[in-house]
Amino acid sequence: MLYSLTARAIVPVAVAVTGFVIVCCMLLYSVMKTDLVNDAINYEANQANTIIKSTRYAMLKSDRETVRNIIDNIGSQEGIEHVRIFNKKGLIMFSENHAEVNRYVDKKTAGCISCHAGSVPHATIGDMERARRYTNGKGAEVIAITAPIYNDPACYTAACHFHSSGQQILGTLDIGLSAAPLLKTLSVMRGRMIVFSIMILILSVGGVAALLRRHVFSPLRHIKEFTAKVNRGNLSHELSGISGDLTDLAGDVRGMASQLRSAVEELEELRLSRKEIEERVAVEGDSV
Amino acid sequence: MNMQTPRPHRPEGTETVTLQSVSEESLEKIQRLKARASRGLFSMALFIAFSIGALRDFDFLPPLSPQILAILGTPPSANMISAALMLYSFSAIILILSRMMSGSGSYSGIAHVGYLAAFYTFYHFAGVLGENFWAVFAAGTTILGLESYHVWTFCAEEIKKELESPAEPGSNNGDGQGTDE
Repeated sequence: MLYSLTARAIVPVAVAVTGFVIVCCMLLYSVMKTDLVNDAINYEANQANTIIKSTRYAMLKSDRETVRNIIDNIGSQEGIEHVRIFNKKGLIMFSENHAEVNRYVDKKTAGCISCHAGSVPHATIGDMERARRYTNGKGAEVIAITAPIYNDPACYTAACHFHSSGQQILGTLDIGLSAAPLLKTLSVMRGRMIVFSIMILILSVGGVAALLRRHVFSPLRHIKEFTAKVNRGNLSHELSGISGDLTDLAGDVRGMASQLRSAVEELEELRLSRKEIEERVAVEGDSV
Repeated sequence: MNMQTPRPHRPEGTETVTLQSVSEESLEKIQRLKARASRGLFSMALFIAFSIGALRDFDFLPPLSPQILAILGTPPSANMISAALMLYSFSAIILILSRMMSGSGSYSGIAHVGYLAAFYTFYHFAGVLGENFWAVFAAGTTILGLESYHVWTFCAEEIKKELESPAEPGSNNGDGQGTDE
């Protein structure tokens, strides 16, 4: 079946178009997914900076109760998986999960290792390197980002004089948002691309195959069947219903069959007349 | 008029010419064509083997030393590699289809396996092989599938021509045995 004219015309085109559309859709999806994830990380980084700025005044006044309240309010929002502030040593000072306060974080986790890989941690790092994706204990997919709280003159000249001027980073804010909305968007996008690809393939491959079948393969099959019947001696069969560019070919084949039919009839007449002559000669010979 | 006796219907691709009527040279050529037709499967198997390694992100290979990574330099971005993959897929498909149209029997499946392996490697060094593995796999399956089909149909046609051609000079082939269409 794969050697037939139909297969050789349609299979390569179908495979090529299908394969290329699938490859392009996959690459496009991958690029869009990366862009969406980067946008989510940028959004989180902005949120982290907003939280740091919101708690700055309370920290300058050493008002821990207010800072704790702000963290609790933020942590209670839908979509926030965790939010905490830990100091330079990694000790969690504030957290929406009160059970983990006064515990140390692991510097080797993703998002922390980018700065703490070497003996001297980096002071500045890009948003993407500070982000990490993981599945938390509740089974939720989380995108978390760490934002350093930098020292500035207002901090080391404040009334409490808690931090020295030589300290570059006072602590770190760690916030984690649920990736469920992002995953849902990706899933919808993926579904739409699959549907679009299927429609494109049906239209292109199906349309070309249907048109070829109608205008080329069916007429050729009729002509082939007609010539096979003529070759087997069936000269009474008619070839009709061929239209389009193959009309001339069908006409020529029909013409040849008609000439063959005429030649066969002529030959049959000659044979009959010869037989009559032979019989007449035989009868006359007997009478003589 | 002496009409030909009806020929029995046989499935496509069946060789009805007896092998005794085919010269040794033709037999050798047919054997070579059959071996050539199976090259497509070999390339596909090689590609699948490499893809299995890529699916695991080549975790069975030892990591490259920092010195070698420094020599290799920064890998290209994922977007650049994806653009190159799309361009390569398009060019390869166009070239294969044009070879099919021209009736050329040239085959470059092994080269394509090499190119696809390079894409896997580039994505691996860029750290995005997991997200882009299936794109490379789909491209490889399409390109190698087309190459295999092309060389298979080409060899089948050549074998058919070889069987239909006169076995020896002056030999009688007008006995109506014929071959399948």
